[in-house]
Amino acid sequence: MKQTIKILIIDKEEIILKSVKKALKNNDHTDFVITTCKSALEGLKIIRTDKFDISLIDPILPGMNGNELIRRIRNIYPALPIIIMSGYSTIRLDQLNSVAEQNESFKPISDILKKPFTTEEIKSVIKKALENYSISN
Amino acid sequence: MIKLRLLEKLKYISISSRISILLGIIILITMGVFSAFSLIKQKDASIDAISHNADQLSKTTEKILRFSMLKNRRAELSMAVRNIVGKEGIMSVRILNHKGIIKFSSNPSEVNKHISQTSQEGIETVQFCESCHKNKYNKLEYDLKNFTQNRIIRKDNLIYNWQPIYNARSCYTEACHSSFEETAARKTNILKDNETYLPVHDSSQTILGFIDIEVSTKRINANLAKTRTQLILFTVIFALIASIVTYFSTKYLIGKPIKNLVEGTKRVAEGNFKDEIPPGKAELKLLAESFNKMQKQLLTTQTQLIESEKLASVGKLADEIANEINNPLTGIIIHSENLIAESNLDKNMISDFETIKLEALKIRESIRNILSFTGGNKPEFKVTFIGDIINHTISIVKKFSNFQNIKIISEIPKSLPNVVIDPTLIEQVFLNLLLIPSESMQAGGILDILVNYSPVNKEIEIVFSDTGKGIPENILKKIFNPINIADLENFEKTGISLAVCKDIIKMHNGTIKINNTGSGTVVTITLPV
Repeated sequence: MKQTIKILIIDKEEIILKSVKKALKNNDHTDFVITTCKSALEGLKIIRTDKFDISLIDPILPGMNGNELIRRIRNIYPALPIIIMSGYSTIRLDQLNSVAEQNESFKPISDILKKPFTTEEIKSVIKKALENYSISN
Repeated sequence: MIKLRLLEKLKYISISSRISILLGIIILITMGVFSAFSLIKQKDASIDAISHNADQLSKTTEKILRFSMLKNRRAELSMAVRNIVGKEGIMSVRILNHKGIIKFSSNPSEVNKHISQTSQEGIETVQFCESCHKNKYNKLEYDLKNFTQNRIIRKDNLIYNWQPIYNARSCYTEACHSSFEETAARKTNILKDNETYLPVHDSSQTILGFIDIEVSTKRINANLAKTRTQLILFTVIFALIASIVTYFSTKYLIGKPIKNLVEGTKRVAEGNFKDEIPPGKAELKLLAESFNKMQKQLLTTQTQLIESEKLASVGKLADEIANEINNPLTGIIIHSENLIAESNLDKNMISDFETIKLEALKIRESIRNILSFTGGNKPEFKVTFIGDIINHTISIVKKFSNFQNIKIISEIPKSLPNVVIDPTLIEQVFLNLLLIPSESMQAGGILDILVNYSPVNKEIEIVFSDTGKGIPENILKKIFNPINIADLENFEKTGISLAVCKDIIKMHNGTIKINNTGSGTVVTITLPV
């Protein structure tokens, strides 16, 4: 039986959203149900109403600071596995992670996926995050 | 209002002025005290001399007049007494009898008056008599001990001195009337035949009378006053000259260098540390040198700050550029991968898509390499195999245009121990040490990297040698100095200077040296194990 995984992708670039959809289609073991949005506010709205198994977020979004977005998502959905996507160097991502780690109510970010990524890489990161999530629950 | 302004002005009295004023005051005080002291001494000495002279004078006068007194030549005595006056500052001469009655005087009106009735101010009879007779006029009690001292009384302009006329045999045996007078007296029947003149003095008297002299000290006093004035004038002039000389010399030695220093600090406060201050003298020269060194340090720090800021902004820019590329690149990779996975494409098409994917991945690799050089601010030390860093650096640079004709050789012993370094920073250094010589080796050449381990010194040595033009001696001396602000425009394209390389190596407790060989340049880096 195929697994169904609901993924929320938040990224301001259309090409990323398109690419992720392309990369995650035609999977043998899992069906990914992908929801995409381009802004932080939209993402928060969707999270409040829908349930997701995992989320891929590029925190550099218009209108809201990345740390702020993650904090708000955690307020709504504390356990949601979050993977950060970023085209910037790792330094900025490290800063992001350290903020998350400082606050104990946050679950740390599950993983960081550096852009550009291959189909293989994104699948592997998602798989690992879901495995860790199911282990800890 | 004026007082306030004056007070404010007082605060700004320069060091030279203060020192010279102080010196002037010190000179005035010390010389003043010294002069006063010596003037007093001089006066005392002069008065003593005069007193002594007066003493001698009255003794001498008494001896001279004795003969006339013996012969009772009264007219002669009167004349003599009157004539003595006027010479040597002698104001008056008197001959008194023991009871104090003036018998002969240079002032005729005084004759037969008691001494206390004369116009001598301040000389009381008491002083006169009491010098011998302790108990007033009691002949039996007299104190001869103080006799000498009290014979001389000093007033402002006068020295008053009297001498006793002692009784001698000749005094009471000589006839007071001369034989001539006696004969004349008999002839005129004043003297009867059986009568003789009795001598005026008898043997019972010890002291027949006194001779006193008044000596004026006006001339001496005038001389002393003149000397005093001269000394004062001299002191003041000397103090003034000394002050002025001190003022100008301290201004030259201290004032001006300090002023330069003050101006220098003002300039530094305003942000200008290029102008050196001129050296002063002695310790102030050292101060000026230290100050100039400090300025150079500030300049260095400033340029280093600017350099690192520039680096930071270059880093930020690179980050942004990379990000701009990374999103579309994701699209290219994923989509070409997707096409490759499509089963019903022919082999050639798949091959082409694979080429697209491969090249896109190469772009990704290049971008990640560039970004790694503009890495974070804090060094993160990790245990690293230096060979990995070197090989990674080589793999990047060999694609660069400069390196197309350059052969890179590396010799890395496999048994090399690991070092604790920040790999990002060290890779920056190595990259620079390859890029810099490549600029002048575009026609071709060899870059050799030799690594070896010295167990004795517990350090790894990395030697970069090139076959380039070599570096001129005068540049070689300053090669690790930070770039001047003026040179920042002509910044090397490599992005960091050798000064920063040196700093990075220093941070790792290592050393870096550059030398010319006959055929190029050699850079030697050591890192502790």
